Amino acid sequence: MAGSAPVLTDRSPLSLADQVFHKLESLLNLAGGIVILLLVFLATANILGRWLFSLPVNGYVDWVEQAMAFLAFLGISYTQREGGHIRMDILVTHLHGRLLWVIELLSTLIMLAITLVLIYGSSLHFLRAYSIGDSSLDINLPTWPAKLVVPVSLTILALRLLLQCWGYVRAIREGGDRPVGVPLVADAASLAKSEAEAIMGDSDSTNVVEQP
Amino acid sequence: MTLLTTMAQMDSVTIGLWVTGFMMALVIIGVRVAFAAAGAGFLGLLWIFSARMGFNKGLLVAMKMAGTIPHSKVSTLALSLIPTFILIGFLAYHAGLTRALFKAAKRWVGWLPGGMGVATVFSAAGFAAVSGASVATSAVFARIAVPEMLKLGYDKRFAAGVVAASGTLASLIPPSAILVIYAIIVEQDVGALLMAGFLPGAVSAVIYGGLVIILARTRKDFGPPVKGYSWKERFKCLPGALPIFFVVGIIVVCIYGGVGTPTEAGSLGAFVILCMALYKGMRLKELTGALMETAKLTVMIFTIIWGVLLYVRFLGFADLPAAFSAWITGLDQSPMVTLIFILCGYAILGMFMDAIGMLLLTLPVVYPAVIALNGGEAVTAAESAFGISGVGCSIWFGIIVVKMAELCLITPPIGLNCFVVAGVRPECSVQDVFRGATPFFVADVLTIATLIALPDIVLWLPKLMGFT
Amino acid sequence: TVWNVSLWGKRRAFTENVEKLADLVDKKTNGDFKLKISYGGLSKAKENLDGISIGAFEMAQFCSFYHKDKNPTITVTELPFTKEVSLAKIADIYKKVYANPIVVKNMAQWNATLLMPTPLPQYNIISKTKPLKSLADFKGMRVRGPGGIMGVLGKLGAVKTGVPFSEVRQSMDSGVIDAAAFAPHAHLATKTYKVGKWATTNLNLGTANCPVVVNTDALNALSKQNRDALLGSVDEAISYYVDNYDNNTTGKYEKAITKQGLTKVTFTPEQTAELNKLAESVRADWIKKYAKKFDSQALFDFTEKLYAQ
Ligand code: NA
Ligand code: NA
Repeated sequence: MAGSAPVLTDRSPLSLADQVFHKLESLLNLAGGIVILLLVFLATANILGRWLFSLPVNGYVDWVEQAMAFLAFLGISYTQREGGHIRMDILVTHLHGRLLWVIELLSTLIMLAITLVLIYGSSLHFLRAYSIGDSSLDINLPTWPAKLVVPVSLTILALRLLLQCWGYVRAIREGGDRPVGVPLVADAASLAKSEAEAIMGDSDSTNVVEQP
Repeated sequence: MTLLTTMAQMDSVTIGLWVTGFMMALVIIGVRVAFAAAGAGFLGLLWIFSARMGFNKGLLVAMKMAGTIPHSKVSTLALSLIPTFILIGFLAYHAGLTRALFKAAKRWVGWLPGGMGVATVFSAAGFAAVSGASVATSAVFARIAVPEMLKLGYDKRFAAGVVAASGTLASLIPPSAILVIYAIIVEQDVGALLMAGFLPGAVSAVIYGGLVIILARTRKDFGPPVKGYSWKERFKCLPGALPIFFVVGIIVVCIYGGVGTPTEAGSLGAFVILCMALYKGMRLKELTGALMETAKLTVMIFTIIWGVLLYVRFLGFADLPAAFSAWITGLDQSPMVTLIFILCGYAILGMFMDAIGMLLLTLPVVYPAVIALNGGEAVTAAESAFGISGVGCSIWFGIIVVKMAELCLITPPIGLNCFVVAGVRPECSVQDVFRGATPFFVADVLTIATLIALPDIVLWLPKLMGFT
Repeated sequence: TVWNVSLWGKRRAFTENVEKLADLVDKKTNGDFKLKISYGGLSKAKENLDGISIGAFEMAQFCSFYHKDKNPTITVTELPFTKEVSLAKIADIYKKVYANPIVVKNMAQWNATLLMPTPLPQYNIISKTKPLKSLADFKGMRVRGPGGIMGVLGKLGAVKTGVPFSEVRQSMDSGVIDAAAFAPHAHLATKTYKVGKWATTNLNLGTANCPVVVNTDALNALSKQNRDALLGSVDEAISYYVDNYDNNTTGKYEKAITKQGLTKVTFTPEQTAELNKLAESVRADWIKKYAKKFDSQALFDFTEKLYAQ
């Protein structure tokens, strides 16, 4: 399920790294949001320009297609930090303590492995476009910037996953139910509640998960 | 024989089953669905390429191939509708459209038995015309409609159930993110699918409304009517709700008046609602918050799209969809029975999965099978199994399967809309909401049966516009 | 030997050269060499060259205008030459261009060898405005068309307007665009003729170049017998394709526009001469644009001569 899972903080190096990195991720995610807003403006300009002055935005389709990679990838690490990528938590919500953190470490390592494979492959995809050449259909925009954003975003995701591995390893060593620096497994209902709050964008309701 | 040589000699269906099983295992232990699918897809590619060209070269080719997919799959014009549709929902809330709509519906239909429930259904249907996501719609109405119903002495479960179910209307009535996703996977015209969703969405709303009235009449304590609004009061609250119809009007005029294409119309709607929200005093902080949430939801959806399409790419190399549709069409029973079995499969899968993930994972295999069942892509209505032409069938099946996926949002144990309602309303437990939503499950089954029996409800508008 | 072949869409006139090739090769090698054709299962159309370069599949089809900078050399054939040429002649021209060393070098960057053309007739316009009386009527017309054609029509005041392929018919119906330029099969696919009022018959300002390409290593690794079977079947596959396209697709298209009662607009020799004059600078721009990347002048002269013959 989607939604956000809470991440606890304290003054340990792990948590500080998590918080600093989170700032960077938030900026990138906001940049993705701004790209979405710009797309809305671009489409509006295209419609109005064509309708009123017979002056469509030249290469509108090409610009949109190039923008897609930015809005699809810039926030990928932020979403992982917030626990926002869909998962099935029917099993993990029934686990507790060390066993839970071992399973979480395992799934994070699997994610890291596939992310590394994709970084390698998508870098080469970018390199081909950059060194041999590639361009968009209508107005010949170069495609390499959009192709570059994929390995770059995935690299940031890989760093985030490393941080989370560190967090889970620490959680396994120390035991307990409330480790810092990793998305906690909230039960489905509180996840949904936090998602609902995000949708409303207001904060007048009670806390999602009580903080210690 | 070593394990590797055994693996290299397996036929592609066996490989496909192993890889799919591996993916399910990853999903169950809690690996994020996008990465479970991508990981399984990569391993599948590795398997197939290694069998063809040896492990070392196979590994290299598989990594390069996998690396082309994330960029390639998201760089599609039609997918740009998804962030736009999500943004519209957030902005409409900030523009105060939702509250105004609910207020108007209350004054106009509140006098019916269970009137507030009916008002919820119809204002949610109205909100669906600007919102592209079911979960968002349920969340918004849980905040607005449930407290009002409880104040009037409505049954708690009933109130929560109405809201959870009404939210699902957002995915049929355009704009709808999930219909866009369907159109992309099956390579159908996005505009045709969005138009096709309109009437079934309206039919669903009417069936929901009827159900609410029947429930309120048979059980006394369910929902007393709200009487006593004068006609003057009724008309007075209309202007507040008008902007929704204004936006819908703009989108319709935009498409049919020759101002813009369907893909552009969504953006124009978002722009108008943004202006309204700013006019209503939305601050920069709220806008930033809306953008952050839109971006996050967008990334979540796109990641699962490319992740699953990596798995689908493996299926393509393994030629699995063709094998599955050959098996389905070879079954010794009537196509309609097979179709109903497929839908039952969705109902079971949907108990555990979310709508988008489920469609993305299954459609690449199921869709070609259904089309083949009907007689192929180019079949005419007269020669087909379901009495619908090839293009018509892909639109019709799309609406049915999306309705199916929506139904799964209110079935236990994983029912996202119910979770959201329970999350917003601390006084309702998740069990309460699921109990309250049960009658709507029955209504949904009824709706799906209606759509199967009368495909013209789906196809009438697209036909009118020259699709099919 | 089994080769994976990456096409897109569904089986149609446009893919009959590959289908025929697969047939011939299978027969000639008694099933020893098979081409396994996949429609969209292996790659997105725009990434087919990447897939060939990676070695994920051995054969693919692509169109040069999808990504001009991947294949700048073969875009020479898409220039407006304003010459009346038959489909068979276009196939012949493409084949000779594919063998030109400048082109071979360009494709070698992708580890690719151009095997066979998929010739398309010259594009023509279908429009829903009042039937065209003079070239001046192009002024202000919103047209969806490729770069070369729009380069010429733009000089007459037409406005290049991009809409997605799948939204062409509806865009024309509602007036977002006034006209679209396509080869016959694409007019049939988008059903522009159902909305349009007139159609040009001899625009001759260019067409698409969509080659069938193979991975060079895979080609070299074939046994002599299989290789001969493959290369020896190309001509027969092309002539089968041309025959099918001319008789079925173009024929069907012409029937469709006649049945719908579209006015046929045929340019006079004087108008064609005027169009050719406007096209001159489009061709000159092309030479200038690529002069630094390869000997564009030589390749242009080579191609122009083929069109003139
Ligand atoms: Na909607
Ligand atoms: Na469910």
